[in-house]
Formats: sequence, structure tokens, C-alpha cells
Amino acid sequence: MIPRSFEYSAPGTLDEAVALLQKLGSDAKILSGGQSLIPMMKLRLASPPHIVDINRIPGLDYITEKDGFLRIGALVRESDLERSELVRSRFPILVDTTSVIADPLVRNQATVCGNLAHGDPANDHPATMLALGAIVVAVGPRGERDVPVENFFPALFTTALEADEILREIKIPIPPPSTGGAYLKLERKVGDYATAGVAVQITLNNSGACTAAAGIGLTNVGFTPIKAVKAEAFVKGKQLDQAAVKQASEIAAGESHPVDDIRGPADYKRDLVRVLTARAIVRALERVKGGV
Amino acid sequence: MNTIGKPISRVDGKLKVTGSARYSAEFDMPGLCYAVLVQSTIPAGRIAGMDDSLARKAAGVLAVLTPENAQRLPGAEKRLSLLQDNQVYYNGQPVAVVVAEKLEEAHHAASLIKIRYSVSAPKLDFVAGFPSSHPGNHNGEPGDMSWGDVDGALKDSDIKIDQVYTTPIHHHNPMEPHAAIAQWNGDELTVHESAQDISGHRAKLAKLFGVQESNVRLICLFVGGGFGCKGPLWSHVPLAAMAARQVNRPVKIVLERPQMFGPVGARPRTHQRLTVGATREGKLTAIRHEVHAHTSVIEDYLESSAFPTRVMYGCPNVSTIHRIVDLNLGTPTYTRAPGVATGTYALEVAMDELAYKLNMDPLQLRLLNYTENDPQTKLPFTGKHLRDCYTRAAERFGWSNRTREPRSMRDGSQLIGWGVATETYPANRRPASALVRFKPDGRVLVATGTHEIGNGIYTIMIQTAADALNVSPDLIDAQLGDTALPPAPITAGSMTVASVTPAIQTAAERVRTRLLQMAVADSGSPVHDASVDEVDFKDGLIFRKLSPNRSEKLGDFIARNGGQPIEGIAHVEPDETLKQKFASHSFGAVFAEVSVDPDLGPTRVRRVTAVYDVGKVLNEKTARSQFIGGIVWGIGLALHEDSHMDARTGRIVNENLADYHVPVNADIGEIDVSAIDIADTHLNPLGARGIGEIGITGTAAAVANAIYHATGKRIRDLPITPQKLIA
Repeated sequence: MIPRSFEYSAPGTLDEAVALLQKLGSDAKILSGGQSLIPMMKLRLASPPHIVDINRIPGLDYITEKDGFLRIGALVRESDLERSELVRSRFPILVDTTSVIADPLVRNQATVCGNLAHGDPANDHPATMLALGAIVVAVGPRGERDVPVENFFPALFTTALEADEILREIKIPIPPPSTGGAYLKLERKVGDYATAGVAVQITLNNSGACTAAAGIGLTNVGFTPIKAVKAEAFVKGKQLDQAAVKQASEIAAGESHPVDDIRGPADYKRDLVRVLTARAIVRALERVKGGV
Repeated sequence: MNTIGKPISRVDGKLKVTGSARYSAEFDMPGLCYAVLVQSTIPAGRIAGMDDSLARKAAGVLAVLTPENAQRLPGAEKRLSLLQDNQVYYNGQPVAVVVAEKLEEAHHAASLIKIRYSVSAPKLDFVAGFPSSHPGNHNGEPGDMSWGDVDGALKDSDIKIDQVYTTPIHHHNPMEPHAAIAQWNGDELTVHESAQDISGHRAKLAKLFGVQESNVRLICLFVGGGFGCKGPLWSHVPLAAMAARQVNRPVKIVLERPQMFGPVGARPRTHQRLTVGATREGKLTAIRHEVHAHTSVIEDYLESSAFPTRVMYGCPNVSTIHRIVDLNLGTPTYTRAPGVATGTYALEVAMDELAYKLNMDPLQLRLLNYTENDPQTKLPFTGKHLRDCYTRAAERFGWSNRTREPRSMRDGSQLIGWGVATETYPANRRPASALVRFKPDGRVLVATGTHEIGNGIYTIMIQTAADALNVSPDLIDAQLGDTALPPAPITAGSMTVASVTPAIQTAAERVRTRLLQMAVADSGSPVHDASVDEVDFKDGLIFRKLSPNRSEKLGDFIARNGGQPIEGIAHVEPDETLKQKFASHSFGAVFAEVSVDPDLGPTRVRRVTAVYDVGKVLNEKTARSQFIGGIVWGIGLALHEDSHMDARTGRIVNENLADYHVPVNADIGEIDVSAIDIADTHLNPLGARGIGEIGITGTAAAVANAIYHATGKRIRDLPITPQKLIA
């Protein structure tokens, strides 16, 4: 219950942090909120030789709207999202997501960017960011680069970040009018990992049909967060009546790859995806119409 | 004073919330070093070889105890794993101990030990073990007990229920893990241990090490939760003492969370077949309650699930049978409401099934089979007001608004269900001793070797002494958790209050009489030459009843009389003839409302109403906490708690609190508890029966019955997880 010994650095700037990563390579692990890293170290599932604590780097705790994107800095806490008026009014799907992560104490520390950088398919934000078409901004010795979130999770607990890169920001395109989204999660008890979770974001055109911007992401039903591309393709251009919702949810369930574990058998989880997808689409449609 | 019954806040509350309460691992002493356990990784077999050479050479290591080199104990017994031989009986069994200067060093060295095993085929299949199962007893009570002619009556019954109910392995998971610090001084052993039974542990340690009991002292000022697992003495405590002897320094051992899932007890798995017969009118004619539960291969423990069936309802023909299945797992043990929590689940769900078969209100069925006497012995109860519990709880809950058909109540898309169950727990009492001391500073000390396990006993001790002495609680200090004090029984079986308060009352009476005798004999006292009957002691003053102005402060009196404390000690035994005259049990009625999402399966317990008959309630506030805690345990039993065993290795897979689910605050809805509060003075002078366990009994059944009412699905296998309601 005590981590193995490790070296600790707390750089004051992003440049210093990147320089450290460059020097240390895969020996280094970044500490932001520590939601997952600290328990893993405590249980000795992870024993990084060097911790690079980025919490003292100023200017990374912003939530702003700029150049057509909502921008979430690397040190934005989950509880900051819950409290942000900008997020509450424009991105209720993000409030859905953050409010079902762990418990309030954890959310005061845990960071949104860390929730992606950990690469855990059981984490909640990845599905939401997949649905929102978010872009991950990575900074490294070669400068900054944008990674579309659908390319960010190549394998289990693996991300597109290089060993010397830091996830500096998440960029979420500001949606056009007539857009709504929702994230729904089933947990066996409050604060548990998702048995399954589904994020849906849809935009309707003037005739009430779904535009090409539809996004559907799935939590903890595969080795990576899953972008339900077939279900997304199905809803595009469709009027989302009851039959279409039913069909879309069945397609999404077919795109999930859950396994049996103590949170339930695979068949049950696949069925959860079906029900949650249908409900998330309905909730998203309500929000298009101004519902909460 | 009149403090009994008042909602007085815990006197130790501030210590606890500020972190100043000292738990057993929080004592420092010169030379303290650290021990960690090395555990077996096979469920059955023997150790073929152990290479500890690297561990011995590692930094900071003081000793490595192995079956090869460990001290041979004169009183060793098979139930404990004290490195006396090479046998492995379960996965996670302690097989070596590493002692080092620092905890980290001990950890590291432990990881360097290499063990070769000769593996035997383990017995891990519970159901396959039924044919070779064997009878047993629970605390001396036989597992099998019957009256009437069950087979005959079942044959003639109009209506019959015959179902199997199962419950999984549970682990207690107190917040504070097991911990001990052992220190030898010559042949004298002092142990700080998180324990529910310091006297029992002292006796066992003395026997193990072949020393006088008076040479062993156990200290435990606070227990950070026990729920039964800290009742028995487990291997890590004597192992710490063996290590302390070897390195000749104090040794601390604290179990890690995964180590709480194996070598320190569990609630065993149960398989309960209930066969219930009734007349068409709903009168019970026969109950057969047949229980299989597991134990280890090294010690028998019987989960007495059919015991509540012996007292719950009036029934002329009853058969209760228990069979134990030996498995290669750590020995199970008492877990909050041992036997009764699992047994009332099965019995009270069977009653619900019967009610539906009879097309009768489930509460009506229970009232129809109400018994004023113990159904087997026909003895009256020392006090039973269960009918009032049913009535009051039903009213508070609004039971009359229930529609009987399953799936008939809804809230939007959610299915709503209401369920009821009866609760019961035996009223236990054992011998106990206490002292009450008037101190030279004018304060009063009340002390007994009991345990503060979250039950609020520090507060109850002070209230009892305050009322007995007519002294403000502010002037009284309480001391407990030390075998140097007059002994008290194990804190378990909801018997602490019933056992300890009579001893405190008698000790208080003795010290008071002694004080007044001394005062009237003292020529300097304002009450000199009065008779003892003419003087009184109240609020710290000794005075004449007829002229209260002629008084003296307790502290002044003691100072004038040599400055020595005045003390009363009492040892009080329960009246053993009571059992020939009465049966003694607590009862209660519990109602639950659940909502179930019909498409996803999760259940939320929206509200629970319970009313208890537990005799006199001594402190409304701490009692309420105990009831609520019990109900939360009942909800966990119904919906969450489940230790998953790997069928090949006998290891618990979810040995952490992220995967072993217990409800958190946000999972719990509204809980409404109250008590009938009628003193049961047959049992003890204050009329209090224990309340630590009754809250969990019946609750799981009320929830399961509510789920049936909501969904029409009868789940007979706990916990009722979402997927079971969707399948």
C-alpha cells in the first residue's frame, strides 16, 4: 500500500517539463490530478522511476472559448467543469460526464486531460470527447501538434502521446445551433467504474434531420474507448424517430466488444449499450429543443 | 441525573473527527520495527522449499521467520498459521514473516523470498462438497433442532413453498484493518491490538506462549470497525509476538487491504433450502430450513442461518438443519448478525412467496402467524412488542397505500416496489466487571475492559455511571480496552450494553455506599454522626438530606482523608435461571421502497422504515446510528457485497474496495428508524437489549421482496445485481 521509491520533479514551465521528459524518456510519468496514477502506484501496479508533477506550471487551468473551440487546459479539474457557467450552458454533456466520475473529493483533484491521457477504456471522458469530435493538443520537443481524439486511443492503456509529449489542451469544436448531447452511464454503485457508458452528440438541420456531425462514443465495452462509427453513419441525414433510434442503438450495441467480468456478462453489457444509446439520443434530442 | 435515553453526543466524537483518537497501530515506542506477512499462493499442499537468503541480506532486515526456524509454541493449534509446520490449507495463509527497521524494507525483503510448493488438489467446489458435509454447532448451540412432525405436516399442507436461497462470501472490510504491536519485557507480553475481545485474546496468547495470563496485557482504546472479524484471535497477532521475541524489540504489524480477504475471517457462503407448509387460510403448518455453509479445513465455523426460524413464527412443526462443507479457504467467522442476517433473508423471502401464493398481504401473513411465546419451548418472552413495531412501521411507511400486484406501481419509467420483513436478534448477556472510582480531584472514573467499536460505549458507560451516582456526565471519565481493567465480555452478539451496564451500576452503588460510610465516620465531615440513610451524594457534594446546606465537596473530603481514591468494583453475572423461565429476543419490522430501472436493471433503495423493540434505548442518538448502520449493511447484503472466488486457486479476485462493493452515502436513500422503547427489566436492571446487529436482519429480505413487487422477478441469489433482473 506504499509506492516504490521514485524521483520527483515539479517543473515551473511547460518547456522545463518537456525537457525533463526528453531526458527521462519512458522512465517519467506525468502527475496532474493523480486520480489513477496514485492508486496504481500505491497498489504497485505502476512503479514509475520518475514523477514529473505539472501542477506548479501556471496558466494551464483555463476553460475558454477561442477561435471556434472550447479549450480545456491540462490542469482543469473535474469540479471546474461542473462549476463552469460556459460549460453548463453550452456543453451539458460535459457536466453529465464529469458528475458521474468517482466522488466529489476525487473530482476536486482529477483533471479532464488526465482522464484522456491515462488511456483507460473505463474512463468516462474519452467516449464524450469521441462524440464531440474533440482534438487533443500535445506539446513536445518538436513543438505542438493536434491529434483528433479518434486517433488518440490506439490500444489498451495506450495513447498517441509520445513519451516526451504532454497533453496540454483539449479542443472541442463549438457546435452549431440545434445541437444537443448527453452522456449516460450505468454504475453498480455511486462512484464505480462504468459497467457501460454511452455519449451522444447530434445536430439537426432545418428540416429536423441529423447532420453529418453526429457523434457516438462508448465507455468500457472494449479494449479502447469506442467510436460507434456505423451507428454515427446510420443516423446521418435521418429523422430520428422511434424506429431510427431503435435501429441506431442496435447498431451501436453491435459495435461494442465487452467482456465478462464482475460487473456483468458480455451479453448484458451489450444490451446496456443498446438501451443507453437509445436513451442518450432521446436526451440529446430534448436538449436540441432546449431541454436540460 | 437522568441521562439514560437522551440523545447525548458521543464523548469520543471530537477525538475521532480530529484524528486524536489513538488506534492500535498509532502507538510509537523506542525500537519499534515492522513486520510484514508472506502469504501462500496455493490453496492446498505443502511448502517444499523456501529460499530466504536474499531477504536475509536485504537492507534493514532484522529477522525472517519461516516454518524452518520459527519458535515452536507450546500451545500451538491447527486453526492458526504460526509457522509450526509446512502445511498449506488455504491461499493467503501466512507462511513467513519478515521483520525490518522500516516498513518499506520489510516489504522489499518479503518480495525476495522464493517458495516452492508441492500442490495438492484443493477442495473449492462448495456444492460438490454437500455429500461429505457434516453437522456442527454455533456457540455451543446444536445446529440441528426440530419439533413436531415436519414431513407429515408438509404432506397435509394445502399450500407449499419449496425454494433454495443462496448468499455469497462476504468480507467485513472495516475501515481500520487488523493491526497489532507486540512487545516483550522478559516473560511479560504487551500487545496493542485492534480487537473485539481483549480478554479472550489475552487468554489465547498466554496459552500459545505458555505464560501466565497475568503476564499478558492487551490494550485497545478504539476499534475502527470490526463487524465480527476482530472477535477471534488470528495468526498475525501471535506472529507479531513471535517476531518481537526473536528480535527483542517491539514489532508492529498492520494488514494491508488485500490481506483482509483471506486469513482473518469472512461470512461463509450459504445455500438454504426452505420448505414451508400452510393452510389455505395462511396458518403455518410446517417449516424445514436446511442450511449448507462452508468452513475451512482447519476449523469448524457454523453460519447458523436457520436459528431465527426457531423463534420467528408460531408453527407446530419445525426442523432446522445445518451442514458444514470443508473448503480450502481461510476460516469463516462471525459477521454482523452471524447466521441471522443470511437466515432472515431466506426465511422472510419464503414468507413473501407464501403470501403471494395465498394471495394475502405479506404483513397480514406475518400477523396471522404471530407468536406470544417461544414456538419451541412455549416460554414467554422477556418482552415482545413486535405487533407494535409492525403497526407503527406500516403507518409511518404508508403500507396501506400499496397495491399488491407485482409491477403495479410506477414512477415515470421506473418500477416501484414495496416490501416488508420481520427482524430479530437474540438478547445476549454475559458476566462482566467494572470499577467506579472517586478521584482526589473530585472527578469520577468508570472503567471496564470492553471495546469502543463504534457502538458509543464510552458514552453509555458515562451515562450509566452519571445516573447511578447522581453526578453530571461532565464530571465523569470513561476508560476501557485494557486487560488491566476489570474484564468485560467480547464485544459481539449485541451484548455489550446488557452485560456491562449492570456491572457499572453495581460498582457505582458500592462506591457511593463506601463514600457515605466514610463520611459519617469522619469527625471532620459536616455529615459526621448521621446514619448512612440520612446522607446523600449528588453533583459532587456530600450532604445531609434534611439540611442540604451542610455539605462538602467530594474532592475536599478525599483530600482531608489521605488523598486516596475511593473505589467500588463489581462482578455481575446474568441470572442463569432466566433461560428456564423466559426466551429473550429483540424484534423489529422493516419496510423498504425500491425503484428498478426495467431496461437496465439497477435497484435503488429509495427509503426504509423500521421500528424496533430492543427494550430500553439508552441513548437515542447512538442507537439511531447503530440502526442506520445495520440497515445500510442490509442494503449492501441485498444489492452489493460479493466476494468472488477464483475457482481454481481459491483466491478472492476482488480483494479491494473498488471491486468489493459496499454502498456509499450517495447510494442510500431516506432511512427512518425508531424504537418502541419499553424496558425489558427481566434481562437487566436498565432493561436494555443490544442493538448492534438487529438492523441488518430482515433488511435484505425487505429489499428483495420490494424488488419482486416492483418487477415480478424473484431473485433467490444475493446480491441482486442489475444483470440478474435483466436476464
